[in-house]
Amino acid sequence: MQRRVSIGLATILIVCALWYAATAMFGIIPPGRFPSPAETWSALVHVSGRGYGGGDLTMHVYNSLRLVVMGFLFAIATGVPLGLLMGWSRKAEAFINPIFLIIRPIPPLAWIPLAILWLGLGDAAKIMVIWFSAFVPSVINTFAGVRNIDRPVLEAAYMLGMPKIRFVSEVLIPGASPMIFTGLRLSLQASWTTLVAAELVGAFYGIGRVLNVAQQDLYPGMILVGMIAVAILGWGTTRVLGMAEARALRWNTAALAAKG
Amino acid sequence: MGVIQFKNVGKTFGPRDSGFVALKDIDLEIRDKEFVAIVGPSGCGKTTCLRMVAGFENATDGVVSVDGTPIKRPGPDRAVVFQQFALFPWKTVYDNIDLGLRNLNVSGSERSSRIEAILNLMNLTQYAKHFPHQLSGGMQQRVAIARAYVLDPDVLLMDEPFGALDAQTRVVMQEELVRLARKNPRTVLFITHAVEEAVYLADRVAIMTRAPGRIKEVLDVASIRNAEDWDSHEKIEDVMDLESFVHLRTHIWRSLREEKAAQHA
Repeated sequence: MQRRVSIGLATILIVCALWYAATAMFGIIPPGRFPSPAETWSALVHVSGRGYGGGDLTMHVYNSLRLVVMGFLFAIATGVPLGLLMGWSRKAEAFINPIFLIIRPIPPLAWIPLAILWLGLGDAAKIMVIWFSAFVPSVINTFAGVRNIDRPVLEAAYMLGMPKIRFVSEVLIPGASPMIFTGLRLSLQASWTTLVAAELVGAFYGIGRVLNVAQQDLYPGMILVGMIAVAILGWGTTRVLGMAEARALRWNTAALAAKG
Repeated sequence: MGVIQFKNVGKTFGPRDSGFVALKDIDLEIRDKEFVAIVGPSGCGKTTCLRMVAGFENATDGVVSVDGTPIKRPGPDRAVVFQQFALFPWKTVYDNIDLGLRNLNVSGSERSSRIEAILNLMNLTQYAKHFPHQLSGGMQQRVAIARAYVLDPDVLLMDEPFGALDAQTRVVMQEELVRLARKNPRTVLFITHAVEEAVYLADRVAIMTRAPGRIKEVLDVASIRNAEDWDSHEKIEDVMDLESFVHLRTHIWRSLREEKAAQHA
């Protein structure tokens, strides 16, 4: 583990060194195309201090993070129950699946114009689009998770005479949870992608807004700061989800270890 | 009480006139606290018999009933032990056993004393906090048997419970089940394709024909066991050496071989 971490850090250092060499040192990449490390640093100082694109970095980060978390949580709260219902009841699946077949091929980003038309440039439209993009993977994976529960395990539950609510909370949800978490990972990724796209189209604050203004200002250092900020936020939120997953699936890690 | 009754039971999978006839004219009564094993060639529908008592399948002809009540759905009065254990992998051994009792609204203190007793009886006490996957197959099946026994069911249904275990573990489990069943008799319907296992465990052995499955013959083992005092032998191999045991086993083997031959003819 120690070894892996040090190798990882070394890789990052090498990439940074190559970056420095290609830009500031030898000028292989012209400054107008890609910023040097120093330019990127000064852009970071700029947006953190005086602010850029209507606010300082904390404000942009806070706004983007807030929208992603809200859209994502909203998607979980609606998508997981719907997936459970579809996995559980063939009738519900027969009703709902055709709607999915129609809606699924539409890329979530294609909903942005409609969302803005309905809800304006504020937060509501973005949350709606994020919700939409995160919703689909939650539903589909939860559904598949329920269908993946071993038949005898379900029969054992029937045999034990489970009340309905307990059946859902103690059999269906934990049984489907490995797949539910797979779905949530995909949902989270989709949430970030959609957020940036939605903010690029129109926003008052947010990292997408920073990227958009920086592009208009021909300010490559600031563009890179925005990109790195999204990368770090995406990594951090995935990390938090991973911790929740490890906690919830303690039994499953034991199961995976037993299978070798 | 726990009297299982098959009256003229038939089961057809698929459409009634063109589907697969799995069972035909099954008539069998299993008395209260009696241990009956059904043996038969694979695919003869013996598991289907058990699944109908459990309430997982419905009979297409006739009636399957327990204490005179026709079976409609699964329930904790008819506890099932599955071949593949079917424990809840996300629950500890203790919680797996506890779940059925919670569903029956047994009080907290009674639950813990009953679980403790069964854990003790099945030599599982030290594994109470383990998850199923941390245990061997034999241990997992022990938990599944404990989960069924703790409910104090009228009827215990065991579907090739030792089929997935290795030979040594299997013998140990058979001895333990005999110990459990003699000490704490229940109405048991036991499905197996292992002839020795059936003779060793059961009071009566029902032999089934190949599909469509019918009951070909029912052998009374208990009267021979008692006359020859099998239970005075502690080890399974000693019982299996007895002339009366060998005689019964050979009889069932012949009967099953006829079925096999008929299948290939």
